[in-house]
Amino acid sequence: MPVFYKKALRYALTLITIISLNFFIPRLMPGDPVINLAGEEISFNEDQIEIIRKEMGLTKPLGLQYLNYWKDILQLKLGYSYHFHQEVSRLLFGRMQWTLLLVGLSVVFGAFIGAFFGSRAGWRSGRFGSRLSTSLFLFFYSVPPFFMAILFLYFFAFKLGIFPLKGYYRTGTLPDIIWHLVLPVLVLTLFTSARNFVIMRGSVLQEKNRLYPLFARAKGLSDKQVLNRHVFWNASLPLITLIALDFGFIFSGALFIEIVFSMNGMGTLIYDSIKALDYPVLQGAFLVIALMVVSANILADITYSLVDPRVRHQR
Amino acid sequence: MEKICLLYWLTSFLIQTLVQAGNFSRETKKLKMKRIFISLMIFLAVFLSMNAAASRERESKQTILRIGTPQEVKSPNVFGDYNLSIFIKISNPPLMKIDSQGHITGLTASKVQMSQDFTEWIFTIRDDFWWSDGTKFSAEDVLFSIVYTGKHYPYAAWIKNTLESAALVDENTVRIKFSRPYTRLDLEFTSYNIFPKHIYEDIPDPMNHLNSGENIGFGPFFIQNIDLNAGVICFSRNPYWQGRQSHINGFEIHIYKNTDILSLALEKGDVDTYYKYASSYPYANIERLKKTNKFDFSTKLNIGLVFMAFNLKQGATADLDFRKALSYAVDYDEILLLDALGFGKNPDRGFVPPSMAGYTESEDLEYDPDRARRILSDAGYADRDADGFLEDRKGQEISLSLLVRDDWARIGELLENYFAQIGIKTAVRFLDLNSWVAAKDHYDYDVLVARSTPWGMFMHANWGTGYFDSRRTGQGVLHNVDDPSFLKLCDEILASGDPQKLKDLARSVQRYYAEKIPAVALYWNEIVTPLKKEFSGWKHSPLYGIYNIDSFISVRKTE
Repeated sequence: MPVFYKKALRYALTLITIISLNFFIPRLMPGDPVINLAGEEISFNEDQIEIIRKEMGLTKPLGLQYLNYWKDILQLKLGYSYHFHQEVSRLLFGRMQWTLLLVGLSVVFGAFIGAFFGSRAGWRSGRFGSRLSTSLFLFFYSVPPFFMAILFLYFFAFKLGIFPLKGYYRTGTLPDIIWHLVLPVLVLTLFTSARNFVIMRGSVLQEKNRLYPLFARAKGLSDKQVLNRHVFWNASLPLITLIALDFGFIFSGALFIEIVFSMNGMGTLIYDSIKALDYPVLQGAFLVIALMVVSANILADITYSLVDPRVRHQR
Repeated sequence: MEKICLLYWLTSFLIQTLVQAGNFSRETKKLKMKRIFISLMIFLAVFLSMNAAASRERESKQTILRIGTPQEVKSPNVFGDYNLSIFIKISNPPLMKIDSQGHITGLTASKVQMSQDFTEWIFTIRDDFWWSDGTKFSAEDVLFSIVYTGKHYPYAAWIKNTLESAALVDENTVRIKFSRPYTRLDLEFTSYNIFPKHIYEDIPDPMNHLNSGENIGFGPFFIQNIDLNAGVICFSRNPYWQGRQSHINGFEIHIYKNTDILSLALEKGDVDTYYKYASSYPYANIERLKKTNKFDFSTKLNIGLVFMAFNLKQGATADLDFRKALSYAVDYDEILLLDALGFGKNPDRGFVPPSMAGYTESEDLEYDPDRARRILSDAGYADRDADGFLEDRKGQEISLSLLVRDDWARIGELLENYFAQIGIKTAVRFLDLNSWVAAKDHYDYDVLVARSTPWGMFMHANWGTGYFDSRRTGQGVLHNVDDPSFLKLCDEILASGDPQKLKDLARSVQRYYAEKIPAVALYWNEIVTPLKKEFSGWKHSPLYGIYNIDSFISVRKTE
């Protein structure tokens, strides 16, 4: 069987398993979604609960619910959230736009910054600049993102007052949105770039001691050219996997950042849905994430083969 | 503004220095890069200063009160969203309200009458209300809202199921007849909001209706817009409001997902006060806010409270003597100090706090571990195997399962320690809300820690009965008392409309709590609300704290 079909089969099986788990895992969690829906200060009798449970389709046998779930997914119907009072697809779409802006920007900036500085630090590992940047990025990598977010918020928004404390915007104009996004994107970028920096630096350190950089130098290439034309691309292979995974999880949001900056994103949506046992939202959100992760992996496979001829020739 | 100027000045200084440095050397590519970078910095500084200045200018034009809250609105659905339904009590007020004395009085209704058997209720509606779109508010809106809510709101299905007839007596009077008596309908109607018939009659499914724009109201303010991505709900003055005019032009609810950041927002001046239904401003943050000298603090004893309840069906806690011993094991002073930083009062055995109408004084709960040990010893509990923990009358070691929600972790640890001091082994289970509710509903515990809210204390037959009556259920409902004498008390309260009789029954309920100990109050906490000194004239409601119509009408900016 050609490699392509093998991979396609593997991804299809992965998707089917994940989609099935999306159905069963929320239902294995303790608690009753109907009771959760009511809030802590509403008291009612069993008959009323049964009526609501029936309306939510929870009285049907589990097998039938599972079949209906697949039927809906194949028709691209993600259901209705009783907790958020709207169609799940509408809810997810609304949240995904902002999450894409917040996390997407950070992933892109983090990838470029981490790869650029990481490769330089690995290439000139003994120098002061390399040691300084390594310490700095390791510091950012070690600080938990939520703590960094609170620190940044405290200094730049509370103490200096140059950024707002919350939300995606106040008036909704483009400058206003940028103004609100600077701090959260900066924190997320610092965190992702720090991680990418560490990976890239380690990878360059390994690559630079191989024979091909020596051969490239012997050809007459400058140090900069050896790094940019040869070492950088070979060293970036592990980073591609990580960035692909980042893109996969782009729609899982950034829970702590969203909580600190009071932003409505996918992170808080999933968190609230877990607390409320909102099955349709959980199923929909995890479906989107699963699709993204699988697609990102396919993309990583393709990128690998483009960047690395060894992978290409395995086919 | 001065900080932004400073930033601007610093960047300009930096660029000047670099340009001068460039004059002494060859213009290299590096310097060009630096220039680009610095230009970007200047652009950013100017951009930020413009945004900050624009933001301040916008806020200074009118007197807008800004309320910070951690109560998240999940969707712009005024009908179905729990928190939004609290916020619209200013724009779409219910028929009745609980006044500052704890009595139920008319809000939209001016007069309430009921039949002898409490199956028929007649509400006379005030005729001086207008919807904010200029339509006259009428009794038809009230009638429509009652029927509509019963039909579409799942937890108001009792209206749909028992409503026999609903009709207008005249243009200001509504008569509703039920198939069963409701003695406390006036209390129920302190929570159901009233919606405009001319808008909602065209909305077949209000639970699925989202409107983030204008939601008209007939109160002094109406919702101008709900922007959940900005985390702001804006209320504007109702131009057709005939009552006493408010001194503010509008108010905004600012939603924060984190109370610590909300505290910073208060300190910074982004918001003027804090509101969370049934909850105080975090006690740990009060001192810091006091130091700013910008806030006054309103302190009211909460109607809700924090308590421990017992499994009365099985295990050692089914024994009254055992429960009594546990009630003496708790150091109430310490628990109040450590969990509420002293913001509250030590409770008494009657459970119900003095802030609730119908409160009857009873014996104070006191910390007396020696007495607790004596009670246990007299009841036949002894440490027969000398391991430091007591065994029950059959010789089996007692190990209490203490169910604690994450929110009350510290109380759980304290109780474990107190019980150990009288020889009771305790296994504390710290659970998330879902697991806690599941374990509670399956009676999978011996003791649990819970809280009640003001409305929760009023629900069912009042005075906290809704939490204990075994015939009820709900997320916060414990349904642990099936004693016929207690159920009879609840039924009598539900069947009585006589104020004097109700007073006697309230006393009986509190006596029942004190004698049978289905639960023990751990402390009666205070609700502390920081109020910016720039505003004065706040009014307090027992149910919704500062968030009430009287408050928004009388609050004014201090000169």
